[in-house]
Amino acid sequence: MGKAVQTPAGHAGRRQASREMILLLCVLSFLVLFSFTALVSRMYHKKVHGLADQWFAAGEERLQAGDSAVALTDYRNALVYSPNNTKFQFHLAEALAAGGHYDQARPYLLALLSESPGSGEVNLQLARIAAANNARADALRYYQGAIYGEWKDDANSTRWQIRRELCEYLISKGAINQAIPAALDLDENTPENDPARLKIVGQLLLQTNQWVRAQALYRSLLRADRYDEEATAGAGRAAFELGEFSAAIEDLNRLSPERREQADVASVLEMAHRVLAMSPFLAGLSPQVKAQRAANALSIAELRAQGCARETGQSLVETPPRTELQVAYATSQTMQLNWDLRDLQKFPDRLDSAMQTAFDIENAVAQTCGEPQGDNRALWLLARSRSAVNR
Amino acid sequence: MREDRLFLLLAVLIGIFSGLAVVCFRLAIEWTQITLLGSSLVPSFPRVVLAPTIAGLVVAFLALRVFPAVRGSGVNQTKSAFYISNGYIPFSTVIGKFIACGLAIGSGQSLGPEDPSLQMGAGIASLIGRRLRLSQERLRLIAPVGAAAGLAAAFNAPLSAVLFVIEEVIGQWSAGALGAIVLAAVSSVVTMRAFLGADSLFRVPPFRVAGAFEMLAYVGLGIAGGFASLILLKWIVYARPKLMALPRWTHYLQPAVAGLLIGLIGIRFPQVMGAGYAIVDQAMHGQFTWKILLVLAGLKLLATGFSFLSGAPGGTFAPTLFIGAMLGGAVGAIEHHFFPGLTGTVGTFALVGIGTLFAGFLRTPITSVFMVIELSGNYTAILPVIISTMVAYGISRAYQKVPLFDVLARQDGTVLPSLEERREMMSLAVEDAMRPVNVVVCEPGDSIPDIARRAEAQPEVALLLRVKPGEWWILDRDEVIRMAPDASPTTTVIRVKSKGPLPYLFPDQTLSEALAVMADWALLPVANRANLAKLEGILTLEDTLMAFRKAPKEE
Repeated sequence: MGKAVQTPAGHAGRRQASREMILLLCVLSFLVLFSFTALVSRMYHKKVHGLADQWFAAGEERLQAGDSAVALTDYRNALVYSPNNTKFQFHLAEALAAGGHYDQARPYLLALLSESPGSGEVNLQLARIAAANNARADALRYYQGAIYGEWKDDANSTRWQIRRELCEYLISKGAINQAIPAALDLDENTPENDPARLKIVGQLLLQTNQWVRAQALYRSLLRADRYDEEATAGAGRAAFELGEFSAAIEDLNRLSPERREQADVASVLEMAHRVLAMSPFLAGLSPQVKAQRAANALSIAELRAQGCARETGQSLVETPPRTELQVAYATSQTMQLNWDLRDLQKFPDRLDSAMQTAFDIENAVAQTCGEPQGDNRALWLLARSRSAVNR
Repeated sequence: MREDRLFLLLAVLIGIFSGLAVVCFRLAIEWTQITLLGSSLVPSFPRVVLAPTIAGLVVAFLALRVFPAVRGSGVNQTKSAFYISNGYIPFSTVIGKFIACGLAIGSGQSLGPEDPSLQMGAGIASLIGRRLRLSQERLRLIAPVGAAAGLAAAFNAPLSAVLFVIEEVIGQWSAGALGAIVLAAVSSVVTMRAFLGADSLFRVPPFRVAGAFEMLAYVGLGIAGGFASLILLKWIVYARPKLMALPRWTHYLQPAVAGLLIGLIGIRFPQVMGAGYAIVDQAMHGQFTWKILLVLAGLKLLATGFSFLSGAPGGTFAPTLFIGAMLGGAVGAIEHHFFPGLTGTVGTFALVGIGTLFAGFLRTPITSVFMVIELSGNYTAILPVIISTMVAYGISRAYQKVPLFDVLARQDGTVLPSLEERREMMSLAVEDAMRPVNVVVCEPGDSIPDIARRAEAQPEVALLLRVKPGEWWILDRDEVIRMAPDASPTTTVIRVKSKGPLPYLFPDQTLSEALAVMADWALLPVANRANLAKLEGILTLEDTLMAFRKAPKEE
């Protein structure tokens, strides 16, 4: 213990009392200062909350007016006075992302996500940023987070929109296989009494090659409104892709002349007609026509094979044949005498094997030289539809 | 009430008062800022220049004519109170600091409220201590207690405040004051939180730091931070005496000129004005490109130099945090450009940068590490902070021998000790001076003739009697020899007149401690810490003095 501060002798009692008095004064001062601080603090908080709301409102206004740069400053000002306000943080991040400032938006969103990992809107913004940054794995993760996250208003509708956005994003990136589950999810989560959304889903199903589902969806739409042009076009397209060329033509012919003239419909219609014109499998054809079409198909396929061989510098003839194309071409050459017009007419049972060889050649060439055009495409589509029928 | 108990009670009381004062102080700064510069982060043109300039004139008048003790940051003034004026800090300083700092910082001077809060806390503590007529020793200790309370409330970081006060204000680990300091710091933070909330000063987006290789990135930050802190240090150390030596009338203008220069910078970069916490928060959220971060770090360094050198009252903590955050963010962004695989974000580097510059500039490495954790509420960055901080601290020490606060004190004509200085001092231990056991050590049951025979061969005039482990008595050698002829073989040494019990030492104790207990004992036993019955050696006064003589001298 150190040396006590000198006090006059005999004043110990008075000193004690003095200490108590001072402690009492301290307590009184504390009460006064505490009350004062509470009052000032309350006034201050009222003031800064007012300022924060004011700046935030200004930011919203500016953003709606399209002045995003000033809106950003306003949001930042709002955050100065209410730094932990998640709503302000989110709006700032949203505005930053909308302005393409992804790197600046991301930290705010990550901070928000760490506070509420189940937030649908934060996940969605992060997904969009990841999508814009070509970070597909992150985008998928955040989109899933958004789909299964919390949404305050109209959760089902919002989730539907996010599924659609995810599906479109994946399709745009060529990730069709990853887009299929999202498209199927949409198909299952779209109410039957909402034709506008069903049409969107139909388009996504078509884009993800889900022809059967797409056809069923469009047919259901047509049952409700048989004059719905979009549904008719969709159904026609689905039928075409499924190899139901007659049905496709029938559907597409029901469209208005203006719609039929549009490139997407016109090309499908033209190709469907071409396929039907080349198919020897149609009912009601005479043996002579069937034979003629089969022989035609073989010669078209052979010509395409020769063209492709020239293009790629590959040999069509090799002993023994190695590639699928060489095998198919060798078959057609070997069977040439058995598959001429007369024989095919005389022996209709050879027609199938002749056509199969033509299909094999077209398929093999398509793998080497890409998807064909014109008659070759018609033949190739016919091959595809036959293969589907066989399966 | 016993004074030690009263002291602990007072620590709580001081903490509460300091907390309330700091709350009012912070609100005053914010209010002044809103009033003078407007509520936007980007003040309008005439204000941005006029406010700090005109406020500078008022602040200079207050500092020179009304409250002459408010100049500077307040750390050295508190330290002086502890070492020189027995804990006395006039209460007018607290009032002056409140008004002048509130005006200076609120008008945009590049200064912070932490160091003034520290001094205000110390001033409040000093007033209470004086009114309660505490003993001189307690009165001295009460200033650091208040300082810790003030700083803890200003930073919302009790641990850092305690460490800073120990590292910088007291300059030593004082067990007597530690409990009170902690109590005061905690109670002030609790009080402050009741009004301003419990949130950390900075919010850092989540991040992770992976891999040993990645630590190299933080070494880079440490180097950059070390040299940046050196620039600011050297500038202040060089320019301050020159500006102080200018005619007195210029001192009335210096804060205004600094305000004008800062205002001019603020036209284009208003971020450098004031304490800048909101901007640090933005940097941690990756809101700036590396170029902007670098420019802000450079301009803030300039602005802080202007403000501090002008004599405007205010602290250097907040500007240091700002410069560190900007520099850290810039280094992080540049490193990310070359090494995109780095897991630490720009925000991580900004956070680490805070501690880095703090350690380099204020030379309080332990405080710096804990401060980063407390300010961010995030433990993830601990390893990078330690690495970066130590590198910056090492560079700063290598090129600026004397720490900032010591230099400032010497420029003001005082010499104050620091923990760094004490760390440097050679500390001699008992084992450096003790000699092997060359005296006879006897047990109570030993016979006098036997011991006398052995004692005749020894040079020392005293013998040691081990009564029990850890209890040693001293026997006069000549007395034993004198009694031996008349003693029977069964007469034990217990009959010999002895002195004791002797204080005993351990080999690792300092010689200063040994001297304190040496008194006029001829020798002292040096015992083994694991076995008190075992003697490691003996120590005499001559041995001790010899060891001091032989010790290498400090440069």
